Amino acid sequence: MTCEVIQKGRSGVINPIFTCQPAGAQYASIGIKDCIGIVHGGQGCVMFVRLLFSQHFKENFLIASSSVHEDGAVFGALNRVEEAVDVLLMRYPDVKVVPIITTCSTEVIGDDVDGVILKLNRGLLQEKYADREVHLIAVHAPSFVGSQVSGYDVAVEAFVSHFAKKSEPSGKLNLITGWVNPGDVTVLKQLLAEMQVDATVLFEIESFDSPIMPDKSGESHGSTTIEDLTGTANAIGTLALNRYEGGRAARYLENEFGIPSIIGPTPIGIRNTDTFLHNVKALTGKPIPQSLVRERGKAIDALADLVHMFLAEKRVAIYGHPDLVIGLAEFCIDLEMKPVLLLLGDDNTTYKNDPRIKALQSGVDFEMEIVLNADLMELEDRIKNKELNLDLILGHSKGRFVAIDNNVPMVRVGFPTYDRAGLHRHPVVGYAGAIWLAEEMANTLFTDMEYKKNKEWILNVW
Amino acid sequence: MPFHEFNCSTCIPERREHAVVKGPGEDLTSALPLGYLNTIPGSISERGCAYCGAKHVIGTPMKDVIHLSHGPVGCTYDTWQTKRYISDNDNFQLKNTFASDVKEKHIVFGAEGLLKKNIIEAFQAFPEIKRMTIYSTCATALIGDDIGAIAQEVMEEMPDVDIFVCNSPGFAGPSQSGGHHKINIAWVNNKVGTVEPKITSDYVINYVGEYNIQGDQEVMIDYFKRMGIQVLSTFTGNGSYDDLRAMHRAHLNVLECARSAEYICNELRVRYGIPRLDIDGFGFEPLSASLRKIGLFFGIEDRAQAIIDAETARWKPELDWYKERLKGKKVCLWPGGSKLWHWANVIHEEMGVEVVSLYTKFGHQGDMEKGIARCEQGALAIDDPNELEGLEAMEKLKPDVIFTGKRPGEVAKKIRVPYLNAHAYHNGPYKGYEGWVRFARDIYNAIYSPIHQLSALDISKDEIPADKGFITRRMLSDIHLTPEIRDSSEMRQYTGGYDSVSPLRERDYPYMNESKALV
Amino acid sequence: MEEDVLKERVAQLEDFILKKCLWQFHSRAWDRERQNEGVLTKTTQILCGDPVAKETAEDRCYWVDAVVLAEEYRSRFTWTASLTVPEIRVLMAALKDRIDYVTITGSLNKELTVKQY
Repeated sequence: MTCEVIQKGRSGVINPIFTCQPAGAQYASIGIKDCIGIVHGGQGCVMFVRLLFSQHFKENFLIASSSVHEDGAVFGALNRVEEAVDVLLMRYPDVKVVPIITTCSTEVIGDDVDGVILKLNRGLLQEKYADREVHLIAVHAPSFVGSQVSGYDVAVEAFVSHFAKKSEPSGKLNLITGWVNPGDVTVLKQLLAEMQVDATVLFEIESFDSPIMPDKSGESHGSTTIEDLTGTANAIGTLALNRYEGGRAARYLENEFGIPSIIGPTPIGIRNTDTFLHNVKALTGKPIPQSLVRERGKAIDALADLVHMFLAEKRVAIYGHPDLVIGLAEFCIDLEMKPVLLLLGDDNTTYKNDPRIKALQSGVDFEMEIVLNADLMELEDRIKNKELNLDLILGHSKGRFVAIDNNVPMVRVGFPTYDRAGLHRHPVVGYAGAIWLAEEMANTLFTDMEYKKNKEWILNVW
Repeated sequence: MPFHEFNCSTCIPERREHAVVKGPGEDLTSALPLGYLNTIPGSISERGCAYCGAKHVIGTPMKDVIHLSHGPVGCTYDTWQTKRYISDNDNFQLKNTFASDVKEKHIVFGAEGLLKKNIIEAFQAFPEIKRMTIYSTCATALIGDDIGAIAQEVMEEMPDVDIFVCNSPGFAGPSQSGGHHKINIAWVNNKVGTVEPKITSDYVINYVGEYNIQGDQEVMIDYFKRMGIQVLSTFTGNGSYDDLRAMHRAHLNVLECARSAEYICNELRVRYGIPRLDIDGFGFEPLSASLRKIGLFFGIEDRAQAIIDAETARWKPELDWYKERLKGKKVCLWPGGSKLWHWANVIHEEMGVEVVSLYTKFGHQGDMEKGIARCEQGALAIDDPNELEGLEAMEKLKPDVIFTGKRPGEVAKKIRVPYLNAHAYHNGPYKGYEGWVRFARDIYNAIYSPIHQLSALDISKDEIPADKGFITRRMLSDIHLTPEIRDSSEMRQYTGGYDSVSPLRERDYPYMNESKALV
Repeated sequence: MEEDVLKERVAQLEDFILKKCLWQFHSRAWDRERQNEGVLTKTTQILCGDPVAKETAEDRCYWVDAVVLAEEYRSRFTWTASLTVPEIRVLMAALKDRIDYVTITGSLNKELTVKQY
């Protein structure tokens, strides 16, 4: 009974789990109100990321490109940033926040984005936009470092460090959610509301799920404000739910302003949600109310209907964002399932020191493998060639063909989930997320039993 | 010059010559926007990059190939599973994508060693695949990796594999079109002429500029085979790498998307004397004329005519059913490049819709010439549109539907304009006779969607029509039709199935057997 | 044919080519010259009942576009039946001038003179 942590053996990537840093930085930036990022690089770095978001959310998001062409790649392209900022500000009068997100090309050619921001602050912004609040923020996101995960982490820190400013204590809690869905934010806010905790949520992305309005005014964008970000320096504490997506910002606030922080655990499942509430209580002193005892009880009731009859012993592979994967694995174990394979898809060398990974290594009572720097070929190869038996796959849509071609049922979870309808509306965190996840897994297994005629009659009496 | 100035773009004067209205008395010598120029930074254009033009648009539809991108992982991930170019080998190239995963240390010390390891690993992972394409990206082009040399090294060490290298980094040109050009020229320079094909028919063509979106290629190949024509290669949808190395042996290049693939046809004409015939696979009349021309070329026009007659008889009554209900509906034809001219006239003639605007994301002035020539008076033509201009145009023109990409479709949705995916289609294929009816059906379903109707109602102040539990599309579409048309027994709605392509893969072709027997 | 009748008829023939054909829009000026000459010469020959060379692949490719164009002209523009051979030649020469103007000499397409494909 061992849990082995290994590295992918191949040097390259076959069927990646993640895209690169600029995408993560772009995801963070769309969470801010009156913010349009400029990605400094080739146009594909924006066009495809916007497409990816639109696939996942079925919504449009505004992100600009500095459109670096051949001449810029040869002679430097900072003039493209200057022009992009001006064009963007002229045509979008409400824009106040403009992150300048670098990419591999502009990092390789060595464009000094910090320098050009200084120049623009002293020049263009004073000359042409003197009566307007505009923040240009450098986000260094070279694609050859980390992944979308670290890109998100870097961007959140860049925003917080740009805006956070010490003044009067606000009594508010900073909640840094990490890379989640609108449905998750709704649930987290409900939990905090039950505890009567006033929180600054980074980022307020519930508004990504935007309506079609009769007056055509519907639009998808984040709603975290400059004031929200500024006020993070005056909070009573910071709760960063994900270690690798927002952890940096929490540490920054602690080091710079002495804001006590708790990083993790990702509140997936009952136990981690309990810990989340415990942490909220620790930072705010607010008690956990009876209403949450009841909500928790409903979730446990739902899980009790499923665990030992249907979910126990089910062998699961999980891939995606590290905090999500670890949280899901922990929850699966509580559900009596066996997460036999975890795939973490970038070269972050600190994952192996994550206390949660250490705990899995010392605690699991079945054969488990954790592959670092993984790709989806690691999953497919084990199923096809190494007799890995799976009852279920948990992961995002890019791995859909591994499930389809190998006849393994799959629950779409994480980002992106474009091949299923509306998953961004559903939570995976909190007690509500625990219910959704367990029931989605059960229903997926049930459908598969029926499709394969595998003891489908068992559901006659339940 | 009848330029159209957008209110949202008065502050960027460079945009002034990128939009025109084809007014009365205007022709191409007075109404043509600028095109294929550098994008204005920060304008929120819809353009992609030259890497995607090479790898994603043209390279990857090749089906029996490992498509490896040399660079950080993002380029590969981003151009994976965002298209609907299927293939008859279980979609190998859709499912699998390969990145050399360049990291910081490789940027500093070079990534050629990493690339070589990658190539070998990829062939090991898929031992049945012996062909590979490698695409440079911004990062590896800038550090100056010699991909060609590495590929050559591997080919010498592994004699059973063949590798094609395309150097088309993202920054190489104003849009994805730069990549179309680079991969065309690289292929004709490096791969054409390196395989001698088995010729099994007296009638041999290359089918060029066709990417098998939802099975378009397979629909057209079906017609060609029914005529007894050997399709030596398709560039590149559902195409085979080695077939494409043998392009030089065709008698005729049949060109569909001239935007992305005219370069290779031009080079094949100059270098090998193969003539270029531009065709339209969309629409009954243009398709019929195209099949007839190909038939005439080989002296088998009777075979073409038999197909035209049979297909027209089968599907025309269904097309006409939709035409009666789509007449006068306003369309923004906002695709990437070639569809603006493939569709501009024929959707007007055969479906009765009015094209009120056309745009091109990455097209050149040549595409606009064709598009503007083919649309009716009054249409607004926009080169390299941006987000605000698109919104302003829709507000002004009030289209009933727009044909565009997935993400711009989401923009239209919010201002209550339904969209059809012009690149990937909704429920295609759209080529061929049946495909054209499927397109008409999709347009009809979009325009007369009861849900879109509901989106206009403001329940807080409008009178709520509480007398109905449902509305059918026909209650909306048939209201102004005469009884003869409404109840016509000649015309009917689409009667095909959900999947119109897979059955084609099982077909038998008498003329093909005949020509094989001759050999 | 009166001047205005000629002009009106050329306009009809031109409109058909612009809306339905693709051969006149190759990407470079030298190709457009070649294409216009090839297809319209053969179309004229067909309409006049002259012999048409179609032995080489190149000629054959022009010829197939010409055949379809001539057929369409005859069926769509019934007035063509009333023309004499010299009238057809005058008409088609005027059409060729017009197509050359629209697609080459009067074209605003800046890529027509790019040296390479």
